[in-house]
Amino acid sequence: MANGTWRIARNRSGAQLPIALLAALAIALILIGKAQNTLFDRARATVTDWAAPAFQVARAPLVGLDRWMGSIGEFFTVYRENLRLKDENARLRQWRNAAIVLDNRVRRYQLLLRAVPDPALSSVMARVIGRSNQPFLQTMILDAGTTQGIKPGQAVIDARGMIGRIYLTGHHTSWVILLTDLNSRIPVSIEPGNVQAIMAGDNTGAPTLDLLSQNVTLKAGAQVISSGDGGLLPPGLAIGTVVADPSGGFRVVLLADSASSEDVNVVDFKLKSEQPPAPSPNQLPATAAGLPPAAPPASPLPVTPVANGAAVPVTPPAAVQIHSTAPPPAPPKPQAHGTPATPTQDGTAVDNGNE
Amino acid sequence: MERAGSIMNGRFLSTITPVGLGILGVLVANFPVSVLGGLVSPPLFVFMPLYFWGMVRPDLMTPFWAFALGIFQDFLSGGPPGVWAAAFVAAYFLIDRQRDMLAGLSGIGAIAGFAVSALSACITAYVIVGFYYWHLPPVAPLLVELAMTVLFYIPAVFVIGVIHRRVVGPYRSDF
Repeated sequence: MANGTWRIARNRSGAQLPIALLAALAIALILIGKAQNTLFDRARATVTDWAAPAFQVARAPLVGLDRWMGSIGEFFTVYRENLRLKDENARLRQWRNAAIVLDNRVRRYQLLLRAVPDPALSSVMARVIGRSNQPFLQTMILDAGTTQGIKPGQAVIDARGMIGRIYLTGHHTSWVILLTDLNSRIPVSIEPGNVQAIMAGDNTGAPTLDLLSQNVTLKAGAQVISSGDGGLLPPGLAIGTVVADPSGGFRVVLLADSASSEDVNVVDFKLKSEQPPAPSPNQLPATAAGLPPAAPPASPLPVTPVANGAAVPVTPPAAVQIHSTAPPPAPPKPQAHGTPATPTQDGTAVDNGNE
Repeated sequence: MERAGSIMNGRFLSTITPVGLGILGVLVANFPVSVLGGLVSPPLFVFMPLYFWGMVRPDLMTPFWAFALGIFQDFLSGGPPGVWAAAFVAAYFLIDRQRDMLAGLSGIGAIAGFAVSALSACITAYVIVGFYYWHLPPVAPLLVELAMTVLFYIPAVFVIGVIHRRVVGPYRSDF
């Protein structure tokens, strides 16, 4: 190395800021950033929007190379892989039928119990255009932003399970904070037993579990799903399985692989605000005072054509008259944007448009 | 007159080259597309010109530029603002104090000097992040980044040396 030959140019300028002042400025900036953690966010989102085409262009040859390299390896295992996939597909079809039957049964029970139906989930499919694996931050960048209805806090899932959640949105791009990131903390539920816990990322591949109750013992292999506490994430999203941490405690092996995911779904989850029940005629003051309820506004009854050309009015069935004061809960409506998705048994959203 | 213009252009080029390479290092390291699929942390490319010219040309790589490059690194990396700025200023302080000793190293010693300086920046960043989140992050990703930085410095120092001799060095007027 040639360092021994370098001659040092001494600093002659007296206009430079002293190091101590710069250090104090940096610490002040850290404190300001701690107090207002969105200090750089808008500028970051703008820069990402601006640079998104460059990310896509730079990523294209790498994705092509990755596929090409992968195809060489798969060439030797394609027959065995095909058999395995056929077997898996047959088993999954059985599970799918079971899930549909159970889903219908749950809906009927909810109707009978007049339970609040599960909110409908809509999702926006987005492509991963960048990944950042810094020592203190693990993120990915998607090619969908506020224009596509993406909002901070929404869950990001792939075909296997949850990957993370949106924390910064631009017009056409959004940043995802991965479940493994140091800043990630989400409420989860561990099945069986419905054990509540907080899953916290620590920049390792398997996030840790902080149990909310000290009197619970977990078993390795238990399923971890999102609990939906706080109303930020939909309940029931598949996340991973519990493993014992050799250094004590438990960790979660994630089902999703954020390093290989190319297309992901951003789940839009909105808890409907509770509305007071609509007033029925029986609750009007006139009825409470013992007076007969006011006659409903005259509306022409639907008519049914008969064979001879005349039409007769149709009387509503008795069941409808009985329940007319308290209608059963309406089925969930699809959201305004994105493709309506139905939560399946494993918690992932199935795109109804693809059925 | 023409000669004076050439000298002015040369001085301008030598002035912006160290900082320009630092900015390029930040851009390359934080470009969210990785050949390795993001499996390992990218090297701290920005620290290479910062260390080199902070050691041999502190008039071009001043503490202010160390701070500014750190802010730029914080901005593009997505982390909390000020962490790498403080880390680079701390490392610059070490380089400034040990300049004569570091500039006198050669061979493996020069790499070791760079490694110690990079380690001081990483330790500073680690401690700040630990206080920031009130939770110590795992050391392994930072050590991987440090190892990658030192590994990449070995070929990079030859390129930087060539740039220094051909672009920055010949226009020095301080000697």
